[in-house]
Amino acid sequence: MLFSSITFLYYFLPWVVVLYFLVPRKLKNLVLLGASLFFYAWGEPKIIFCMLTSILVGYMLSRLTEKYPQYKKLYLTLAVVFCLGILGYFKYANFFIHNFNRFVGTSIPLLKITLPIGISFYTFQILSYHIDVYRGKVSAQKNLIHLATYITMFPQLIAGPIVRYQDIEDQLELRSHNFQDISLGIRRFVLGLAKKVLLANVLGEVCAAFHSSNEKSVLFYWIYAVSFSLQIYFDFSGYSDMAIGLGKIFGFTFMENFDYPYISKSITEFWRRWHISLGSWFRDYVYIPLGGSKVGNIRMYLNLLIVWILTGLWHGAEWNFVIWGLYFAVLLVIEKKFMLKYLVNAKIMNHIYVMISIIISFVIFDATSMDQAFGYIREMFGRGTAPVISAEAVYYLKSYTVVLLTAIIGATPFPKKMAERIKYSSYMEPTVLLVLLVVVTSYLIDGSFNPFLYFRF
Amino acid sequence: MKTKNRIIIFSVSAFFLMMSLWGIFWETPNYSQSERRALASFPNVNVENIVSGDFSKEFDNYTVERFPARDVWRQIKAYVKTKLFFQKDNNNIYTTGRHISQMEYPMNTPMMDYVIELFSGIKEKYLDDNKIYLAIIPDKNKYLAYRTGHLSMDYEKFSNYMAEHMEYAKYIEISDLLEADDYYYTDSHWRQEKIVDVAVRIADAMGANIFQTYSEHLLEADFYGVYAGQSALKCEPDTITYLLSETIQGAQVESAKAVYDMEKAKGTDPYEIFLSGNQTIVTLKNSQCENQKRLIIFRDSFGSSIAPLFIGGYSEIILVDLRYISSDKLSEFVDFENADVLFLYSTILLNNSRSMK
Repeated sequence: MLFSSITFLYYFLPWVVVLYFLVPRKLKNLVLLGASLFFYAWGEPKIIFCMLTSILVGYMLSRLTEKYPQYKKLYLTLAVVFCLGILGYFKYANFFIHNFNRFVGTSIPLLKITLPIGISFYTFQILSYHIDVYRGKVSAQKNLIHLATYITMFPQLIAGPIVRYQDIEDQLELRSHNFQDISLGIRRFVLGLAKKVLLANVLGEVCAAFHSSNEKSVLFYWIYAVSFSLQIYFDFSGYSDMAIGLGKIFGFTFMENFDYPYISKSITEFWRRWHISLGSWFRDYVYIPLGGSKVGNIRMYLNLLIVWILTGLWHGAEWNFVIWGLYFAVLLVIEKKFMLKYLVNAKIMNHIYVMISIIISFVIFDATSMDQAFGYIREMFGRGTAPVISAEAVYYLKSYTVVLLTAIIGATPFPKKMAERIKYSSYMEPTVLLVLLVVVTSYLIDGSFNPFLYFRF
Repeated sequence: MKTKNRIIIFSVSAFFLMMSLWGIFWETPNYSQSERRALASFPNVNVENIVSGDFSKEFDNYTVERFPARDVWRQIKAYVKTKLFFQKDNNNIYTTGRHISQMEYPMNTPMMDYVIELFSGIKEKYLDDNKIYLAIIPDKNKYLAYRTGHLSMDYEKFSNYMAEHMEYAKYIEISDLLEADDYYYTDSHWRQEKIVDVAVRIADAMGANIFQTYSEHLLEADFYGVYAGQSALKCEPDTITYLLSETIQGAQVESAKAVYDMEKAKGTDPYEIFLSGNQTIVTLKNSQCENQKRLIIFRDSFGSSIAPLFIGGYSEIILVDLRYISSDKLSEFVDFENADVLFLYSTILLNNSRSMK
């Protein structure tokens, strides 16, 4: 089920919230768990067993780790093998077979596998939970319902943020509900929904028009590249806002996942602001265990390379994602080695450098093949055959000017700062939220299917 | 702050619950008048449907399509998109003056190739010694888009492409005789009273004399064309004028109720008064015709309003709509002997020809 669907907004969510607040405290997790399983099964009725099995295995191995600490390495190994095995099978098996066939010349048939929604998110959550139990950072959860609630919780189940067990361990058992948090949660949810439906989806129309165009020009390549960079930001950060907002309504505090990444002055800073939960996950569970930066230079660069290849692969089982990860690895190494100190003081130029690097990275990210990615980048810089300008490009630029400007301004802290400065009556904000909901509903009813970009990651 | 929080919680919760109850309990029509299409039905509830995931997909579609006050929501969206975000079109539909039009763009060469192959098949199979003609009707976007900066196909390129690939047909150029106001304001079709010159040029090229004296008659019904509903914006209705002559009044019609089917005037699409709208095969007979010329027109809905204007020059006109009959079965219904053949299609259908068979 998509957050930005009529089914979720008006058939599922209101009644789940009503039921949640009607039942006594000790049943609240059960309501959340039931709702989450229904939410998941709505999109993936058959594959729900894959998630349930993962939860059960995670639960048993962590309990065993605590009960028989002398075997904790064995249980950790089993948990890692199981989690990565499930992820590897569903997400990467065909990628491996395809490339094996390609390089060895065999013709092993591809597997008929449906990738379970949110598998990368819940697998990483189970994995980090078990590692934290292994490290003694958290106690193994004795109540299976609490653990299952943590992993399946529908606000963050299919698109993150990747919530750490240690962050909500206490909240799973005892959490408070108050007007302040619920109100904040509603606000965050509605704003996230508006970001997704009114900006990301609309920018997606530009990208779709570009892809189907027979009249691509340099200008159109740039319009597409900028639009896609903004689309993916508003799509993903909008979804994260909705998740965080829903979490607040149910009494949970999830970590922030985005912090205005497009105002960064370096790529290093960008990755501190973009998909924070994933970046910190790889830092804590891969980079630091590999030695992090407390090793020799060559080893440190190798560690970075490993982390970024994995980050790329996490996003999808395609070579362009690997290259996308490597691209960032190279930029981060260059920054670490030479550029960072200059970037901090280089006014404007640092923003230009970051934005161009990011835009190029998302062209690679969105490409269906590396040939396409390199082709697009060549055209963007006038090294291809496309004319500088085309009627189509001018049309889309004119038609989407206000949307693009709104998105660009919206990607900075400026609107938030302005909203904080303006003094308005108690009715102003609720009115704005209701108007946004009406407009979002109108877009959803008029529109057709709009899949979420991060759905399969 | 406390008050504001409570107002937010109360108002937004009330909104969600009211919308939910409205969606669940409000009876909604299963047909959209404005979009002229059936809306989704509640999906079948059975184990197979649920396990396969089809139920959830169909239910999602059902909730979107059957949400109460669908047209009001669509209208809100259209206004926000065009008046607040200043976007130049909404679902490819745009308004300029009284005209509402669709951006038919870009040229879809695979679709054109498909139809070229289909026509070649018809030529190979049925047309030996027939004289064959081709005329292409530009969509009205051609005459409007340049004014407003909207996108339109290169009509010359489009018609040249078709003509070059249909060398067996004599191409008749008609685009210079048309202008935006020759089309309805709210619809894609042309106005019958404005296309007499087009009919004369086509007939002349086919060697037929269709001269008639027409009287104009106004249909007493408001006509909201297909774009009126699709745009979702408020607009003034069109009027339909139809032409009568002695020959038209004396013509016999088969497979349609009449040359001008007045029962259709109060239906969903009053343009269907012309030869009862979309019909597989319609025959017009003129027993007073002095010659025995026959004409077969492969056509889309534009053909319904121009065909009556040809009747003065032919003893029989057969209109064939390939969207509703397979070209393989034509010999069962159409006699091609001693008939001239006209392929008369709008760019709209040629550019989206998948429904033709």
